[in-house]
Amino acid sequence: MALEIQNVSKTYMMGTEAVHALQSVSLSIEENEYIAIMGPSGSGKSTMMNVLGCLDTPTSGEYYLEGEDVSKMNDDQLAEIRNQKIGFVFQTFNLIPRATVFHNVELPLVYSGTPPAERILMANDAIERVGLTDRATHKPTELSGGQRQRAAIARALVNKPTIILADEPTGNLDSVTGREIMAILDGLHKAGNTIILVTHEQEIAEHAHRIVKLRDGQVESDVRPNRVGRNADVVLN
Amino acid sequence: MALTAIKANKSRGVLTTLGIVIGILAVVTTMTAANGLGNNFRESISALGSDVLYVSKRPWIITGNFLSFRNRKNLDLKEVEKLEQRLTSAKAINPSTNTNKNVKYRSKTLEGTTIIGTTDKQLMVSSSVPGDGRFLTPFDVQFKRNVCVIGSEIKDLLFGDVNPINKKMKIGRHNYRVVGVMEKQGSAGFFGGPNFDKQIFIPISAFAKSFGSRNRDLNIAVKAAPHISLSDFEFEVIGEMRKIRKLKPAEEDDFSINQMNQLVGAYNSVMGVIVSIGLVITGISLFVGGIGVMNIMFVSVTERTREIGIRKAIGAKRRSILSQFLFESSIICLIGGLIGLLLSIGATALISKLVMPASLSLPIVSVAILVSVATGVLSGFIPALKAAKLNPIDALRYE
Ligand SMILES: Nc1ncnc2c1ncn2[C@@H]1O[C@H](COP(=O)(O)OP(=O)(O)O)[C@@H](O)[C@H]1O
Ligand SMILES: [Mg+2]
Repeated sequence: MALEIQNVSKTYMMGTEAVHALQSVSLSIEENEYIAIMGPSGSGKSTMMNVLGCLDTPTSGEYYLEGEDVSKMNDDQLAEIRNQKIGFVFQTFNLIPRATVFHNVELPLVYSGTPPAERILMANDAIERVGLTDRATHKPTELSGGQRQRAAIARALVNKPTIILADEPTGNLDSVTGREIMAILDGLHKAGNTIILVTHEQEIAEHAHRIVKLRDGQVESDVRPNRVGRNADVVLN
Repeated sequence: MALTAIKANKSRGVLTTLGIVIGILAVVTTMTAANGLGNNFRESISALGSDVLYVSKRPWIITGNFLSFRNRKNLDLKEVEKLEQRLTSAKAINPSTNTNKNVKYRSKTLEGTTIIGTTDKQLMVSSSVPGDGRFLTPFDVQFKRNVCVIGSEIKDLLFGDVNPINKKMKIGRHNYRVVGVMEKQGSAGFFGGPNFDKQIFIPISAFAKSFGSRNRDLNIAVKAAPHISLSDFEFEVIGEMRKIRKLKPAEEDDFSINQMNQLVGAYNSVMGVIVSIGLVITGISLFVGGIGVMNIMFVSVTERTREIGIRKAIGAKRRSILSQFLFESSIICLIGGLIGLLLSIGATALISKLVMPASLSLPIVSVAILVSVATGVLSGFIPALKAAKLNPIDALRYE
């Protein structure tokens, strides 16, 4: 079991009113699964991703990541998990605007204490995997949306994490660029990563092998369609 | 990366570092002045000798009513003689007196030069020695010979390249023959104190002959024998002087005993004033500057909340974020400190030229750098802690 959440709830207080973003959700995700989380806007997809990515802590419930009880960890221990085991890809890219692609990609290695010489090799390798070598010295503002998302993916995989979390990675991209990004994620899955993907587009979701649908903070359905992924690719083209 | 952030906030940074600049300028100038003063003072007092008491009409440093000392009787040579007979623990006794005269060699004149009438024992009560020629001898004193020993600065100003030994010069209206030149002392004069390089020694007997002895006050330098403590010696000198002056037990001393320690006291209070003024200015400027830097850092943290969120999301721990912002505030303050140091070089040159010899030393420079970095760390700490404690998801959502 790569990830396991049990009875996880997340409640936000908006003034005096409680917003139940997640209500007693339980979910197990195997190693090297490719899973899409779908659902209407406000159904709790991002909240779930943030909990799974150790960016946020649940109000109640338990979370085991590769057997470790994450709900009991402090700030710095969670930072280490995010650094070592998880690669996060955001809808809005979240690159540091003042830094070049190379420096953005290198940064997780800085925080993991990797020696400089190794950092250069590993960062360049990750940049090459997303096909951005000729843009390594550019700043994010000088790149197209697709290129920015590639840079963000390079940053997510530079520390060789087992889990890649992508919250609407194609949400800000046109469909052609979106397909390019999905091809990279497919590649990462083939290379052995566990991929968790949030999307509200059926086409994108069909890249995954399992689709979890959320509604009002609860799991509505959890299905494994009969390996339609490849066929879907054909249909798309 | 910290540097680019600073560049972005350049104009704001320059303004807020002004306090740091002034603070460092103040601390460096204070330390340099105190240092220069200390050197100057040590040179000055070393010429006086630490085991010598000076019997004079007035104390060197007058704290009470100045007029009360004016009615005291002058010290005279008869009293010197009596003191010589009575004091058992004195190694040397040297009377001296002084006046200001114009001195002249050929067409060159030095106005208001200090002329000291003294004896051969002058050498025993002070550390200065002739560098060229000889000092006054007992014969010079006994036979009232018109000979003089000049300070090194007199030699430079009056004789230039000419060897002054055996040259005739005029002191007032009288002819004197130069027999020696004193070694350079190097002290420019401690706060209006004597410049030892700009005085002329002549036999006290010749002094009386040339410039009269009526109403001339003497200073008597008495050097303690090696075996006696200075306080015991002072007790003896006071006792013998009271006997010579036939003072009744109820009467106060009508003379003063002076010694180097009094100058040390004066020096300490001058130093204390300078250092405390300097420290107050330093403290206020660094405080104001520190508050400014703290402000700039709060702004920087707020502006970069999203960036902090990103950094935390990819694994930055609290201490990484903390040190990133501490580094930034230290760099801002260090830049201020370096500008302050540059300005101090100018200030030091000015002090050197106008007041006394002073120079920037390595310890002072290191203290300045240390102080500015410490100010940066202190003033950046609260903003940096705020940044370090940000919740990653809240920071990422920040618009
Ligand atoms: N920080 C927050 N404060 C208050 N309410 C929040 C916060 N984040 C999310 N929510 C609420 O929680 C619910 C789920 O949000 P989210 O997980 O972002 O949904 P989704 O990503 O599926 O659109 C929504 O009703 C949203 O308004
Ligand atoms: Mg969302």
